[in-house]
Amino acid sequence: MTPEHRISEAELHAYLDGELTAEDRAEVEELLAAGSAEVGRVRDLRDLNEAIARRYASRLDAPLSERMKQLLAAMPEHGGAELPGSARRWVPLAAAVVIALSAAAAGYVVRGLIAQTRSPGSAFVATAIGAHSVYVPEVRHPVEVGAAEEAHLVQWLTKRLGANVRAPTLSVLGWKLVGGRLLPDRGLPAAQFMYEDGAGRRLTLYMRKETGLNNTAFQFAERDGFAAFYWVDRPLAYAIAGRLQRDELMGLANAIYGQLEQR
Amino acid sequence: MPSRRDAVAAEIPRLRRYARALTGDDAEADDLIQDTLERALARLGQWRDGDSPRKWLFSILHNLHVDGLRRKSRRPPHVGLDSVGADHSAPAADGASGRDLDLALQLLPSEQREIVLLIGLEGLSYAEAAEVLAIPIGTVMSRLARGRGRLRALMGYEDGYEGGGKSGHAPLRRVK
Repeated sequence: MTPEHRISEAELHAYLDGELTAEDRAEVEELLAAGSAEVGRVRDLRDLNEAIARRYASRLDAPLSERMKQLLAAMPEHGGAELPGSARRWVPLAAAVVIALSAAAAGYVVRGLIAQTRSPGSAFVATAIGAHSVYVPEVRHPVEVGAAEEAHLVQWLTKRLGANVRAPTLSVLGWKLVGGRLLPDRGLPAAQFMYEDGAGRRLTLYMRKETGLNNTAFQFAERDGFAAFYWVDRPLAYAIAGRLQRDELMGLANAIYGQLEQR
Repeated sequence: MPSRRDAVAAEIPRLRRYARALTGDDAEADDLIQDTLERALARLGQWRDGDSPRKWLFSILHNLHVDGLRRKSRRPPHVGLDSVGADHSAPAADGASGRDLDLALQLLPSEQREIVLLIGLEGLSYAEAAEVLAIPIGTVMSRLARGRGRLRALMGYEDGYEGGGKSGHAPLRRVK
């Protein structure tokens, strides 16, 4: 056998893995049929692949662990970005239409269009982002009450805010509760919970009692490099803020909403 | 459009088979899958609508595995050649026991093992494997050839053609 007729190493694997063009495959098959020295190697490698497939086949139908089931259940049931509840989808749209219509009636069509991108909650989210930026850099005193006293913290904030406050569990997404604090917001009590992930990034969930705004779907805001989602689920308004990508924050907002939804 | 939950659920069996073969340990493999699902959940936005999540999930798993290896790199290796002789598990029909295969795979460098398994076990194309591992296709092909050659030698298949002298490991068993 001349060297030109040898099947190259790369060709042999590509043949085995179905990566060759029909023409090249035919050529390799011809060489193998003619008794190429590679016949044994092809057979060995096929055997190996089959042995590997047999060895690990049982994992294909091993029952899911509880945690896998839980994580799977947290996946959105539909494609595309998820809003908290289907009934909520029309709410911001309706608000935007009202704003646009009233502005148009006043003759400020252009300003009306701009107003669609602003919402009545923008002052609220600005306050939440402000609180985030003040406390997140704190090394020694990031929170007033630490996560070790979570039950006490939640009870205290519930009492002060006058609404059922809860600290959602985000450990499934890699964030653990650092703790929380009480804050003033336009002279009324507000609460902030802080979370931290394994990489040391921080996230805050801000909430206060809401009387003026109706329930809304998630709204996105960005300010000073911080991203935030906020929503109203009366009696509370919520905002989560962090220096995170919108998509990641959206996933967290969904998880939080799912746990805090007022029934 | 199938729901995202269903699309991910459909990938779990293959992810688990791959993780088991990659880590050589059921519990470690399931931890890796759980971490993969967690990270996927946190980064759903990276998954473009309508795409199969397969490559995306395999690449998350790959990144987590590499991170895990870095953390473990100071620990002594899980298996050594000394343990090879102590295999009393029942031989498979073809004569090679499953534990031999586990050991032989664990003796491959991780980057060769990944490719041997992604392509040979999970049936990814070279292009898909290159994307999952974020390496050029030429690298996929050379690692594949080295990995398979070494595995073949470790499993005691005849000549152990790939620089048999280079691997330095005695065959785990002679099949023939």
